[in-house]
Amino acid sequence: MTRIMTSSTTPPVIDSSTSTAVGASTSAGTTTTTGSTATATTATVPLTHPTTVPTSRPARSSSPGSYYAMSDEEEGDYNTITHTSTGRGVKLLYTKSKVYIHPTPSAKDNIPGYIALLQQRGGTQHDRPRSSSSSSGRDDHPASSDLLLAWIPESSLGESANLYVKVDLCDGDSPPKQSYLVPPPPTVTTHRGSVGPYAFAIPVSAIYSLLIRPPSVGWWWGSIIINSRAGDSFPALFFHDSECQSTILQKKKRTADTFDPFGDAGQMFWGGDEVLRWLKRYVQIERSGAEPNIYLVEPSKEDSVAFGGKPTTSGTKQGESSRAGPGGKKGEEASMDPFVKLIKEAGWNLMEKFSKVTTFTRQAANDVLDNPRVPPQMRRLLRNPEVQTLQDEFDSARIYLARWAMGIAEQSDRDRNRRIWTARDVMELEDTDVGEFELVDGANSLSLEERRKVLTMKEWKGFFDERTGRLSVTVDEVKERIFHGGLDPEDGVRKEAWLFLLGVYDWYSTADERKAQAASLRDAYIKLKGAWWERQVDLGGEGEEGEWWREQRNRIGTNVHMEQLKDMLLTYNEYNKGLGYVQGMSDLLAPIYAVLQDDALAFWAFQHFMDRMERNFLRDQSGMRAQLLALDNLVRFMDPKLYAHLESADSTNFFFFFRMLLVWYKREFEWDDVLRLWEALWTDYLSSGFHLFIALAILERHRDVIMTHLKHFDEVLKYVNELSTTIDLESTLIRAEALFQRFRRLIEAIDRKEHFPGPRRTLSTATSASATAALAENKAEGSKLPSPPLPPRPQSGPRAASSPATATNKGKNAAAKTAEEDKEEKVEKIVTPALRKLLSREVEIIRAPVKEGQGYPTRERA
Amino acid sequence: MSSNRNYDFLIKLLLIGDSGVGKSCCLLRFSEDSFTPSFITTIGIDFKIRTIELDGKRVKLQIWDTAGQERFRTITTAYYRGAMGILLVYDVTDERSFNNIRTWFANVEQHATEGVNKILIGNKCDWEEKRAVSKEQGQALADELGIPFLEVSAKANINIEEAFFSLANDIKKRIIDTSSKEASGGSSGVNVAADSGSGSGGKCC
Repeated sequence: MTRIMTSSTTPPVIDSSTSTAVGASTSAGTTTTTGSTATATTATVPLTHPTTVPTSRPARSSSPGSYYAMSDEEEGDYNTITHTSTGRGVKLLYTKSKVYIHPTPSAKDNIPGYIALLQQRGGTQHDRPRSSSSSSGRDDHPASSDLLLAWIPESSLGESANLYVKVDLCDGDSPPKQSYLVPPPPTVTTHRGSVGPYAFAIPVSAIYSLLIRPPSVGWWWGSIIINSRAGDSFPALFFHDSECQSTILQKKKRTADTFDPFGDAGQMFWGGDEVLRWLKRYVQIERSGAEPNIYLVEPSKEDSVAFGGKPTTSGTKQGESSRAGPGGKKGEEASMDPFVKLIKEAGWNLMEKFSKVTTFTRQAANDVLDNPRVPPQMRRLLRNPEVQTLQDEFDSARIYLARWAMGIAEQSDRDRNRRIWTARDVMELEDTDVGEFELVDGANSLSLEERRKVLTMKEWKGFFDERTGRLSVTVDEVKERIFHGGLDPEDGVRKEAWLFLLGVYDWYSTADERKAQAASLRDAYIKLKGAWWERQVDLGGEGEEGEWWREQRNRIGTNVHMEQLKDMLLTYNEYNKGLGYVQGMSDLLAPIYAVLQDDALAFWAFQHFMDRMERNFLRDQSGMRAQLLALDNLVRFMDPKLYAHLESADSTNFFFFFRMLLVWYKREFEWDDVLRLWEALWTDYLSSGFHLFIALAILERHRDVIMTHLKHFDEVLKYVNELSTTIDLESTLIRAEALFQRFRRLIEAIDRKEHFPGPRRTLSTATSASATAALAENKAEGSKLPSPPLPPRPQSGPRAASSPATATNKGKNAAAKTAEEDKEEKVEKIVTPALRKLLSREVEIIRAPVKEGQGYPTRERA
Repeated sequence: MSSNRNYDFLIKLLLIGDSGVGKSCCLLRFSEDSFTPSFITTIGIDFKIRTIELDGKRVKLQIWDTAGQERFRTITTAYYRGAMGILLVYDVTDERSFNNIRTWFANVEQHATEGVNKILIGNKCDWEEKRAVSKEQGQALADELGIPFLEVSAKANINIEEAFFSLANDIKKRIIDTSSKEASGGSSGVNVAADSGSGSGGKCC
């Protein structure tokens, strides 16, 4: 057989089997050729009528200049591939990117690739019923044996990569009008273990069923497993939807078009839905009644009927893909229900990971099951005896599930339409407190949704006087827009606005002044850089500077940007010699550099950022302690029940927020979210300590899980550490703002009551005394800061008359509930200085200004 | 409740040493058998778990990883207290990290529980051309400090298992075996391991 494709673009054949039925129509075992051809329909086919791809028309390729342009005209040779590839190309109907195979438990081994539906030239189409109606939304009707469901690793796409990208992004209900020809992947009908580079293409006719598991959260992607008629299971394909541009776009489109982010089945839309949709265009797909995660492909009557019994497709055999679990129950795997097998393979390591967190009791388990948020498929799963055994082996499968359920909720926040979210959930959040609490400032007439609209370059430009370039609205107006809407990530507005936000430019400067400022800053940077450069020639240096150099050496290898970052950090060290380089600083610099793309300006922006962040890096850690203490006070004030629980878990050191506070959640959120978060924080729109409300918002989000399941410091720490990259930013911001508003009102209420003691209120000495005492002793040890002086006690407590009727369980927001309960019922609210500071928008800067006269600007903030 | 437990003993270990010596990499290799060359500094503190078998007993190791930079020491020393075993890690290609072991050791003596088991670990031993600290130097220091010593490589997966197993074994001998004898009872009588299967967190803060 001839191979026309170069091996670099054609993944090698993995396995070809001549064995079993590949579908009635295909002549299994025969090698046939595929000429490519491509049927290019012309652009005259109207979009709305995406029918008829006239296969008889002469081929015309669509991708000029590439190899694929030379699609030949030898239509007659366009034939069925059954198990090996010899031809020129196959038609790429649909594809989706960022579909991974996870060959080992380690994420670093994950292989990104494309799942694709390909059409080869059908030689044997007679067996398929053909619908004559073109209005059915189908174009031609290739036989299922001519359709290939394929997975190809990105690395072996070669030249065709751009075609895959194009087709992936080509959003439409129908396949692209133009034909994109790609090299045929190795066609197989069986899969054996972890052989080769995993690429495969299986004729759809050879697929017996698909095991489809919708996504949950970051650590557990939605997946599809292809079960062949030959009785094999192909490796699970994991849809990393968050990385997949087309899925992201489709989701957006759905929400924009229909306000319905959900898929056909009412579930969250995800990449796998698309695959089903593709297939359904061409073949009959039947969801199994017995096991809803199984989708039968062109089932026979018998299958359809018989499937009610056992969902197992066949005995599966598969090479070990991971370390066997401690139980070592390999023997059973052969006859395992595929769903369980999936859990075994994909879930095992995750479960195991999770088991490392903690232990769980049966009771806790039942609690999880009772949680209405646990999706039905999970419930079913939990009842499966196989899974029960699995759980027994792991003492914390339950927490895993609790987390999983939380993740679902988080995911739905992420995917829900933003407008719907703000309107409904904010109300939910507030419904315990209506009247006392209004979220929207009366002054601002913009609706919530308008305020949360992203701030574009166009709008930004409109803030400035055309002639002078001077800001023509108030700083607060601008900050409000940035705080609520964020800056457009695409149009470059960040590059400008960040310089204002960070204080590199004065808000009321003119364009000329800014130009001059930028020029002098560049000079100053070069000067500073030169200062250490000479000393640094020997590559080492002493102290932490040297330590830092050693750290960097031989790490990521040389990379221009790394070098630049290094230079900036060392220059900062020159600027602020007292501080030295501290781990975490690079986390703060990298986003700034990436956005500004100018080392001198980035440096000065970073320098300003460091002004406020420096306290995090002090030798005595006093700044971190102060913030952890403030967070302690805040949680205690806002959610005493949660606080009490954390206390019982020895977790009120809040050390599990150390990383988050140190580098402002840089490692907790995805990159884009970090940028959005930081710019919101830089505005100091509500409070210069708003990052602590973010922390509170995160805690509140996970309040139930924490209170139900986490009993020890290590459990809490692990849980919070592992929230990293699973947190939804937008809803967190909204929640944080709501919490701040509530906080402010509470303080105001307390202040009012302190001035005007209510007549009916009596002081419960015992309660308030103990609360006071508890607070006093709370942070006295461990903190180098003097323990906060207690505010003067009011004569009568700020307790509203307790009314059981209003203290009933309203709404699902627990924080709101307890805040109200507590206000109304028992705990004395104490406004510590740390808390009062949170009302301030002033940024605290600890370092004394650098000495003048060195040629670089002194700080401007007061 | 305890019948659900999947281990007989819980042992808490702690990794310390200069930043960049490869503490997190050693831990990753041991707990997940993987290695990443990328350099992400550890911020704050975290731990990983691996359950191993020692003399027929399932021993759950909870291994705490700390930020190495001196700046964070005030925070990390808080975690010394709960540890039953400490791995003092240096980088064989970095003499300074080796010299700092004494400081780390002094820190341990000061903050950790008395009698805590220790082991000296020289990481990156696969990197011969960059080696700055000889094996003999490492051994000499270990002898001086009176603790075991191993050269390891997280990258090449050399001796990582041995390091953790050996330390765990020492701890088991020190705490568990002796107290089992005293209690002349089953493993459940052992203090360190018997808190109903839950982590023993909280002791460290």
